[in-house]
Amino acid sequence: MASEANFATASIRLENLSKQFKEILAVDDVTLEVEPGTLVCLLGPSGCGKTTTLRMIAGFEDPTSGKVFIGDEDVTEMPPYARPSAMVFQSYALFPHMSVYENVAYGLKARRTPRSEIRTKVREALDLIELEGQDDKSPSQLSGGQQQRVALARALVIRPKVLLFDEPLSNLDAQLRVRMRGELRDVQRRLGITSVYVTHDQEEAFSIADVVAIMNQGRLTQLGSPLDLYRRPADRFVAEFVGLSNVLPAELVGSNDKGADIRVLGQMIHSRQAPTNPSASISVVLRPEAIRIVTGEDSGIPARVRTLAYIGPIARYTVAIDGDGTELIVDLSNPASDEFYEEGTAVRISLPKEVPALLS
Amino acid sequence: MPEPLTFSDWIRNRRPLLIIAGIQIVLLAFIATRVMDIVIVEDSREVVDGVETITLRRELIGDPLLFALAAVGMALPLSSKNLRREPVMLLTVQLMIVALLIFVLWPVGQIFVEGFEGSGGDKRFSLENYQRLFSRPMVARASRNTVLLGITSATLSTLIGAVVAYTLTLTDIPWKRILRVLVVLTLVSPPFAVSFSFILLFGRRGLITYDLLGIRAWSIYGPDGIIMVQLISNIPLAVLILMGVFSSMDRDLEDAAEDLGAKTFRLLRTITFPLVTPALLTAWLLNFISSISDFGNPMLIGGDFQLLAPQAYIQRVELFDPQLSAALAVLLVIPALFAFALQHWISNRKSYVTVTGGARTGQIRKLSGWFKWPLFSIVLFLGMFNLLLYGSIFVGAAVKAWGFDFSLTLRNVKGLLIAIGELRNSLFVAAVAGVLGGFIGIILASLVTRRRFAGRGALDFAGTLMYAIPGTVVGIGYIIAFNAAPYLWTGTFFIIIVAFAFRRLPVGLRSGVAAEKQIDPHLEEASLDLGASRPRTFAKVTFPLLRTAFLAGVIYIFIRSMTDLSAAIFLSSARTQLFTVRMFNVMVRGSPSEAAAFAALLIVIIMLALGLLGRLTGKSFVDLFRIT
Repeated sequence: MASEANFATASIRLENLSKQFKEILAVDDVTLEVEPGTLVCLLGPSGCGKTTTLRMIAGFEDPTSGKVFIGDEDVTEMPPYARPSAMVFQSYALFPHMSVYENVAYGLKARRTPRSEIRTKVREALDLIELEGQDDKSPSQLSGGQQQRVALARALVIRPKVLLFDEPLSNLDAQLRVRMRGELRDVQRRLGITSVYVTHDQEEAFSIADVVAIMNQGRLTQLGSPLDLYRRPADRFVAEFVGLSNVLPAELVGSNDKGADIRVLGQMIHSRQAPTNPSASISVVLRPEAIRIVTGEDSGIPARVRTLAYIGPIARYTVAIDGDGTELIVDLSNPASDEFYEEGTAVRISLPKEVPALLS
Repeated sequence: MPEPLTFSDWIRNRRPLLIIAGIQIVLLAFIATRVMDIVIVEDSREVVDGVETITLRRELIGDPLLFALAAVGMALPLSSKNLRREPVMLLTVQLMIVALLIFVLWPVGQIFVEGFEGSGGDKRFSLENYQRLFSRPMVARASRNTVLLGITSATLSTLIGAVVAYTLTLTDIPWKRILRVLVVLTLVSPPFAVSFSFILLFGRRGLITYDLLGIRAWSIYGPDGIIMVQLISNIPLAVLILMGVFSSMDRDLEDAAEDLGAKTFRLLRTITFPLVTPALLTAWLLNFISSISDFGNPMLIGGDFQLLAPQAYIQRVELFDPQLSAALAVLLVIPALFAFALQHWISNRKSYVTVTGGARTGQIRKLSGWFKWPLFSIVLFLGMFNLLLYGSIFVGAAVKAWGFDFSLTLRNVKGLLIAIGELRNSLFVAAVAGVLGGFIGIILASLVTRRRFAGRGALDFAGTLMYAIPGTVVGIGYIIAFNAAPYLWTGTFFIIIVAFAFRRLPVGLRSGVAAEKQIDPHLEEASLDLGASRPRTFAKVTFPLLRTAFLAGVIYIFIRSMTDLSAAIFLSSARTQLFTVRMFNVMVRGSPSEAAAFAALLIVIIMLALGLLGRLTGKSFVDLFRIT
């Protein structure tokens, strides 16, 4: 787009946003600030309130309490058509009785843009998504990926201050999904437009977002960069939702301001962060790839292999610790043909020496 | 330092609120001037010294109660925040509420009011009419007859309908395609045309009874005749409802049951029957309503068999006893409302019949000849019989004097020229009512499916209510409600048009709701999100996508209005005479062949309207009447 630079974007601020549907509290006191130009992912299981939150930003749902700001403007009371936001829908929501051109031009016509200007802008938008020359096609003649791009162009062409994505890729097959999310991310970066992106797919969220907001049962559980969330999950829910993990009870041996020492399955581990409440029971998150299986007789914790599965580049084991039977998931990368352990094999496992943080 | 607030800022900040307030005042004032008036009447008159002094006073006439109800109805949606923000939506909802209040709830309510009034203009509450009513043997007889007829007719038509529907969907009989059309043919005729052709075929000089069989003693006029005519008229509705269920029933369920050891009879009892029970009940209840509401058939073929709907007409128009007529209408409306509420309750419960893409639905059963050929004969007989009924009307129109002189003539067709004015009136009224009812139906449908606001359920209820109200009751209700000042609507086209539009609104509404549910709600949201206002979204997205449902609604209402007799007979006047009313008079008083020409023309018009529907939407007339 020739005029990428003058894209006026704005921050989004949600203040104590709640939504009650009859007996269900769908969104529970969510406060969130989205910096101008960044992409925030709302990530959580289905029914966690992420889509309801997005729909309150767009104006499709009235909050029960709380406020929505776009830029400095309080838009809480505004109907959707008056808000400077544009949404890309899961079902694309392309108008089936209009051509590709008419779909993209729709928002401009609603704004009573002069005809010649509409023509230029729609052309630019169709160029941007590489669908030039397809103007007269009906949406049903396009592939899923192309429909998704038209939906994006239709949203972008009205120059919204913020873009909203409601699981935009979930109707595409796995390969296309990976390619499209790269394209979406490119366009968003190039235009520098503030975006909120809803998904239940952890991998998608992590690959696309500047900031990920984890939601569970209507509450905003944790906010942070993908790396932050993976390294220092705030609670067990986040730890288990963000990638596979082993959450084990730990015994606090000693702590200071530099960190803490804990004992897990009889082995000492150092945490780079001290627990916030030393008297409470604590647990530790051990990522499957941080645990190793060792062959030596004298080191490690004795265990027995329960199951083994090859998942592409890794081999995933579940092992049961001898004695109490605690089950752990262990991922070994690049298994060579001669280097794997059959089900029922007695092995020894070694835990990492150091973890970034503890759960309390 | 905050800037001092100027007056124009104050106005600008409150602009939406001021707009809403302005709209409310204008609308309320408009309603007030429609339903109330102030007239100047003579108060007293005295003669002093030969000078006569007349004192005048102002008096409020009309319905302050209706005005108050309208005001309350308008206040309801004001409590919804999302409507307050959008004046156009608010106004639309309020207009719908007011329209349904004035044109549905008020006239129906008036029946009850007038039924409880004293006789001779005494407006106070009284049970007098009901005492009078129940002291007459006619009333008890008519009530009993009506209910018994309803039960018999609904039961038989549902049972036969079930057999026919089963045969046409799930068996391998021949000629299915043509038979499917023939068995539901009577859906599209004016209801009393069936009894008219019964008279042609089985009447005193009937072709079959008199000429072919030489029967002299038996007469079609009476309960036997009415039941037969109602069966022929009502079987198609049962067939349509049940064909829908049979064709969407999952064959895998029956196979699974058989696999688990259920034999034929157990299979029917434990699987098939429970699956179709809700649809059977629905068909039964709708046919019950249709039977007790029937006015034209009993009038033509009923003889001295007394029923409520014709009696309500006779009491009002021929015996000039409006209170008794209203009281009879109340007796008629109660079982109809009860059946309707029951039907509503059944259809709102979770349906067992699930339509899933992968299921093996509508699979044909290979039947042995012992089952197949008797079933085939029943269906074939019904189809041929319908054809015979229609045929007799067209033949009747082409002969000199049915029953006496069967030589061909164009006299009857030329005779239609005297009714050209009535035909024009009917076409005009039906077309306007169709478009009006179609529009209101679509707008209501999109409001009740897409918006949440206080009073939504009530709006849906009021929009559907008329389905349960017999045409006779609609006619009487409109006359009672709008006869006097300040309305003075009787004798105008206006009252006929609104009566027809609102009477058939339920079908427009339901078909709109069904269509709206097929549309991805995100489409409308996308439009709003892209900056299109609600009216623009409706015009550019919702309406184009509902076009088929809208056209189907318009044409359905057009056909039903063209063929309506029971409400029309009360509402049409010398100036606004309708074709069906004229036709009815000819049937009662004129020669059969003359009347046959009228019925034939009406059938041709209906066929043309259905052809137009097929052209515009690709729907057949069977789709049009599939309403549940």
